[in-house]
Amino acid sequence: MPKWLRYALLCIFWWGVFGLLAKLGSDKISPADMQVLFTGGMLPLAVAAFVTGGNKIDTDRLGVTYGVLIGVLAGLGSLAFFAAMAHGKASIVGPVTSLFPLLTVILAVTVLKERMNRVQLAGIVLALIAIAVLSV
Amino acid sequence: MPLWIYYSLLVIVLWGVVGLLQKLGANRISSRSLVIWLTVGYLLLVPVLWTAGIGALAPRDILLGVLSGFTNGLGAWYLFASLEAGAKASIAVPLTALYPLVTVVLAIVILAERLTPLQWIGVSTAIIAGAMVSYETGEPQKGP
Repeated sequence: MPKWLRYALLCIFWWGVFGLLAKLGSDKISPADMQVLFTGGMLPLAVAAFVTGGNKIDTDRLGVTYGVLIGVLAGLGSLAFFAAMAHGKASIVGPVTSLFPLLTVILAVTVLKERMNRVQLAGIVLALIAIAVLSV
Repeated sequence: MPLWIYYSLLVIVLWGVVGLLQKLGANRISSRSLVIWLTVGYLLLVPVLWTAGIGALAPRDILLGVLSGFTNGLGAWYLFASLEAGAKASIAVPLTALYPLVTVVLAIVILAERLTPLQWIGVSTAIIAGAMVSYETGEPQKGP
């Protein structure tokens, strides 16, 4: 198996496990507490990123602004994710929330004037059907 | 509509915007620096969110919360590693978008969740749709 494929499968595995742990935790404690602990779990990876990057951090001002903003919005997103997990089934909330690239594609087309291909267009239609079916 | 759907739509909006910002920031800083700066963003939220205090929580729940952050970051780490190992983004990104498949299997096996036939159709459609929407081809196209 090529290295990239093994890594991609490990990504699938760990993100899948993340969904289960999020459900188990959110059933017991508040989304806010979950997000604080989640941040604690990210710290070793931030340290690993620093060390493996040769103890250097890029400080391009706009890049840093995007990075920090990404963290704040992703954190608020995972708060909502924990709340969704507390109220719904992991086997439904997991797949539905994984549809977030739907909005990224739409924003990329409207804001960045990127083009969307036919597969993505069909994917958007399918995504909306899936959300409609599951929200009954 | 059930409450979880509103929260899930909020997730799609927030993480969807994050995806756009990643496109904008990708050429300015390395993926490693991005991990560091986004962790700073997470840390900025902590004082706002910190109410109960960790001491009020059961050790099991603390472990679950910390591991959720660790596994989420580990997944992202392996996606970056896959791309660094020469994966085509147009293949690796849609492939990794299949991750809810693992969550569904674990939820059914470990949590004994059960789905109706209609929910099975919705869940399968959502997972396929997630991969399709992530299928970006060709070089990034700039606007006029």
